[in-house]
Amino acid sequence: MSQKYYLLRNREIPNIDQMAVYQSHGGYEALKKALNEYKPEELVDLVKKSGLRGRGGAGFPTGMKWGFLPNDGRKRYLVVNSDEAEPGTYKDREIIEQNPHQLIEGIIISSYATKAREAYIYCRGEFLFGAEQLQRAVAEAYAAGYLGENILGSGFSVDLKVYRGAGAYICGEESALLESLEGRRGNPRLKPPFPAVAGLYGGPTVVNNVETITNVPAIVTYGADWYTSMGTAKSPGLKIFSVSGRVVRPDNYEIPLATPLRTLIDDYAGGVLPGRRIKAVIPGGSSVPLLLPDKLDTPLDYESVLQAGSMLGSGGCIVLDDSVCIVGATARLVKFYREESCGKCTPCREGTYWMTDVLERIEHGLGTEEDLDTLMDIADNIGGKCFCPLGDASLGVLVSAMKFFRDEFEAHVREHACPMGAKLYDTVNH
Amino acid sequence: MIRLTIDGQEVTVPEGTMIVDAAARLGIDVPVYCYHQALGPLGACRMCLVQVEKMPKLVTGCTTAVTEGMVVHTQGEAVEKGRKGVLEFLLINHPLDCPVCDKGGECYLQDYTFEYGPGRGRFQEPKIQKVKNGPINDLVLIDQERCVLCQRCVRFMGEYVGEPHLLLEGRGVETVVTTVEHQPATSQFTGNVIDLCPVGALLSAPYYHKGRPWNIERHSTICPHCPVGCSSLATTRESHIIRMEGRPVPDRDWGWLCDRGRFGYDFGYHPERITDSWVQQKTTSAAQATRDVAEWMQRTLTQYGSGSIGFVLGGHFTAEEAHLLRRFAHDVAHTDHIAMVRDVKGYLPLSLNGTFEDVAQADAVIFVGVDPYEAVPVVHLKLRDRLHHFPQLQVMGVGPRRLTRETMPGQDYLIDAEDEAIFFAKALASRLPNDSRVQALIASIQDYSLPVSDADLEVFGQKLLDAQHLTLLWDGENSDMATVLSVLADVRENPTAVLPTFGPVNWRGYEQAGIDPQYAAVEDLLTKVRNGDIHMLVLWGADLLREFPDRKLAQQALEKADYVVSAQVVPPLDMPYIDALLPVATWGEVEGTYVNMEGRLSIGAAGVQPPGQARPTRSYVVNWARLFRQEWQDDAWDVFDNAEGDVLIRADAAVASEITLTRPATKPADGVWTVIQGAWVVENGLPSEILEPRETEFVGRISPDDAARLQIGAEGGYVQAQTSEGSVLIAVRPDPAIMEHTLWIPRGSRHDWAQHLEGVLTLMRPEEVPSV
Repeated sequence: MSQKYYLLRNREIPNIDQMAVYQSHGGYEALKKALNEYKPEELVDLVKKSGLRGRGGAGFPTGMKWGFLPNDGRKRYLVVNSDEAEPGTYKDREIIEQNPHQLIEGIIISSYATKAREAYIYCRGEFLFGAEQLQRAVAEAYAAGYLGENILGSGFSVDLKVYRGAGAYICGEESALLESLEGRRGNPRLKPPFPAVAGLYGGPTVVNNVETITNVPAIVTYGADWYTSMGTAKSPGLKIFSVSGRVVRPDNYEIPLATPLRTLIDDYAGGVLPGRRIKAVIPGGSSVPLLLPDKLDTPLDYESVLQAGSMLGSGGCIVLDDSVCIVGATARLVKFYREESCGKCTPCREGTYWMTDVLERIEHGLGTEEDLDTLMDIADNIGGKCFCPLGDASLGVLVSAMKFFRDEFEAHVREHACPMGAKLYDTVNH
Repeated sequence: MIRLTIDGQEVTVPEGTMIVDAAARLGIDVPVYCYHQALGPLGACRMCLVQVEKMPKLVTGCTTAVTEGMVVHTQGEAVEKGRKGVLEFLLINHPLDCPVCDKGGECYLQDYTFEYGPGRGRFQEPKIQKVKNGPINDLVLIDQERCVLCQRCVRFMGEYVGEPHLLLEGRGVETVVTTVEHQPATSQFTGNVIDLCPVGALLSAPYYHKGRPWNIERHSTICPHCPVGCSSLATTRESHIIRMEGRPVPDRDWGWLCDRGRFGYDFGYHPERITDSWVQQKTTSAAQATRDVAEWMQRTLTQYGSGSIGFVLGGHFTAEEAHLLRRFAHDVAHTDHIAMVRDVKGYLPLSLNGTFEDVAQADAVIFVGVDPYEAVPVVHLKLRDRLHHFPQLQVMGVGPRRLTRETMPGQDYLIDAEDEAIFFAKALASRLPNDSRVQALIASIQDYSLPVSDADLEVFGQKLLDAQHLTLLWDGENSDMATVLSVLADVRENPTAVLPTFGPVNWRGYEQAGIDPQYAAVEDLLTKVRNGDIHMLVLWGADLLREFPDRKLAQQALEKADYVVSAQVVPPLDMPYIDALLPVATWGEVEGTYVNMEGRLSIGAAGVQPPGQARPTRSYVVNWARLFRQEWQDDAWDVFDNAEGDVLIRADAAVASEITLTRPATKPADGVWTVIQGAWVVENGLPSEILEPRETEFVGRISPDDAARLQIGAEGGYVQAQTSEGSVLIAVRPDPAIMEHTLWIPRGSRHDWAQHLEGVLTLMRPEEVPSV
């Protein structure tokens, strides 16, 4: 399938991670345009007009976020969230590994727009190659005069540092990320104050996702109208979807928002394996509820997916086919949240631990009818009662699985075994 | 002010108040674990879930500030379910070993589970296993399994104290509280985490398995170890004090204690505690000793007439006991020679004496000769508290060593103790050269030069005048400071308060009882003994050789007196000169009033029996009166007569009538060592076995450079001090607060060598000492 890429340009242009290649394909021209033709406020307006929304998962309008920074003369920070750890999501990884200069160009433009003097990329600890690529690209950008003092004679200066996390899902949550970036334990902070008011080192801070920022040079180059020509009025533009699970071609796909889910799975990812049918889809990363096959025609934009009963989230689309034991899959996902709970608040710390144990017991045929009610009650005691969104995130799949596939849970209990043979997911505690 | 409704009751609270605190105003208890007013909101435990109308979910009452017209429900189905859920979560990995837990019966997890929790647990899985009874240090234990991860302890040490010796390690359900690098926490405030811990995770090591709520009694009292007199609770069992806890006083005191105060309660049954009388080298009954001493007093009076007996008070007696002794001296022993032992020469008039409220209001504080961290540790915490609320707090140290520190940053003016008053005077003169009071102050020292630039003097002078609320802590070393302070308070337009940090701990109480607190009084009394004008010396808690700085005079007086009687808790350094040693009851064994460095009156409770033959001062006094064939009748004196509330009434401050400063003697030549002294709460007062692991033999301190030269490691070592009188082996360690060629020793040290440091010429390694 041939297509024009705006974010994953590495797909079209080999070695675009090298400065020379990136430049020879129009790289850093958007930066020049931004510095020459726009005042910072005009760039904020441009991004507002483009309707770009945060691609980390929450979908918050980016221009509006930039507009929240108080004008009180304090030093501002831009922090780019590259702590991509949501199961099923690997879009930022491709950008930082294969197309880092577009991200860096986006950071410089965004820093100019938000008047940030210091920018950081908080890179997931496990992304060693990505961090090395970023570090190399940042060094190239400094050497080329795109970073540092008086960039391209514009009078604008910004420094960019790559910071490697130690490997914690919670550090993808922006306030935990800031804690970690400051050298402390990655636990989420109390909000308010929000990072815009008191973020990194207490200063006004914008935290944006890698993909979000990577959109910025394209918007500067092609304009807001180009961007809003794709997607819907409320969810315009491009989005990278990471498709994984039981499909023929699991991969990243850069498509306009509002493309139907079926198109993504069947046309782009090649559909499920021959002879299989889709059992359920997790459309937006492991934190969102399941969609059943009857929702496959849902357009992939923030509003439609929400209406269908799930969330667009990070765009990590996990496809489960009819060979998958839903109890095992749920147990495995909930276990992820148990491992990644930071331990700060009680319901998430204890609840994810408890749910994992119960789910694994059920999967292995040791569950009781009572366990199913207990599970739902634990979920109710976690839901809406945690300090940060991680607790609620652990419930998305579980609660929808119990709603749609209660019979499968009951079968586990009744038959004292997994009807699928519990082969697919080894959930025994290691 | 914000008006809101909680459970149908209206309440008006200041803006920024959290829902839990607003509820508390109404007497509505919202359960909390992680929240503590001193530490601020955290939102971790989720115990305080409440329902706020127009909010979609339950909110945590500890992190949600009140808003106008807010309607809060702390009851109801949703809230009850939320609380029940959180408690069930907290209990799934909690060991439920309440029957063997020290906290059993005084545990918030028990209380809240009883009140709000589920009656039955549904958790069937294995519980996470963690470390039980691991050490935080020698005094504090941690049971990580019982921990609910409220982080109070971690935040207290890190944010409040500023000594981050505790941290969270691991993630999720494996998270534990532990020490940095698993090394013992060395802060002197670690014991507070025991009080802060809402469950049985942080435990007192010396109290471990010593008592349960139903076999202990708790007495509301004060801590006797330093002039702060922290409000505390003494736990007693079978007539032993087995624990001390902080006692918060609403709107005034968080109830923090230092480890010295929290764990130093065991002097009552310390192996060295004097439990028998000892008369002229023989052990005897207290009754016989009482008769013997009475006979000596009568004999002295018969032979030399009235005024031939001298009394010196020290120790930890109550104001009432001081009054008894003064009356006894006057009415029965026919003498007005009664004084209290002093280790510094300074005296502060009550009119200048501030309270801790002056710390809470200060925008500038000056440490004159004293590092509050060492001398009055909880004042350091009060200053930290102020720093949290008012980060612009100006902190200055004036003295012969650095007095500010990492946790209390500020500027140090390194001034010899004898120059402190002159430094202040000159600083004032640089800004107010035409003020007659200031002119009088500097009249005699105009040409005396200080090693400080004029610019520094002017800056300091300006700070003295500019401060909106100036609070000074004063060690009493430089007695001229009292004059300077009175002038300072007079020339300043804004409040000026002084907090004296010197002892004896209840000196203000003794003063109220009519005992002259001036250094000159005790000096004069001892001079009279030495000169043969006083023939019998009764030392009530005073240990002259340890506490009185003029050792020579003390020794001569002790040698000269016909009879030396000493009532003590543990054997004094005066021991070789004592004719009768009387075991006396002290703090915790006698009820009475203590007046602290604020001039605040508190009652020390009597919780335990004095051991052996130790008996209260009152028993001695009444018995002696009887032996003198006098009827003893109590009078109507009441220390509270001079108090408003629990604080002594201050007269209006008046400028000292004589405002001239003493000119210090010429300085010794360069290269000669200076010996300086300071109060160190770990070293002073009564001994404690519990605190032995915290004590160091190496109590002397020298600069790190000198230590390197003398090859002394961080943990300390021995050096030979050459003095004008000979040579003595001393134990020192490096301290960056100490200047070069300066030897710091704690005042009132128990170490004998500390009493032999007149005129130190040089320090050298023991093997370098030339053989005689």
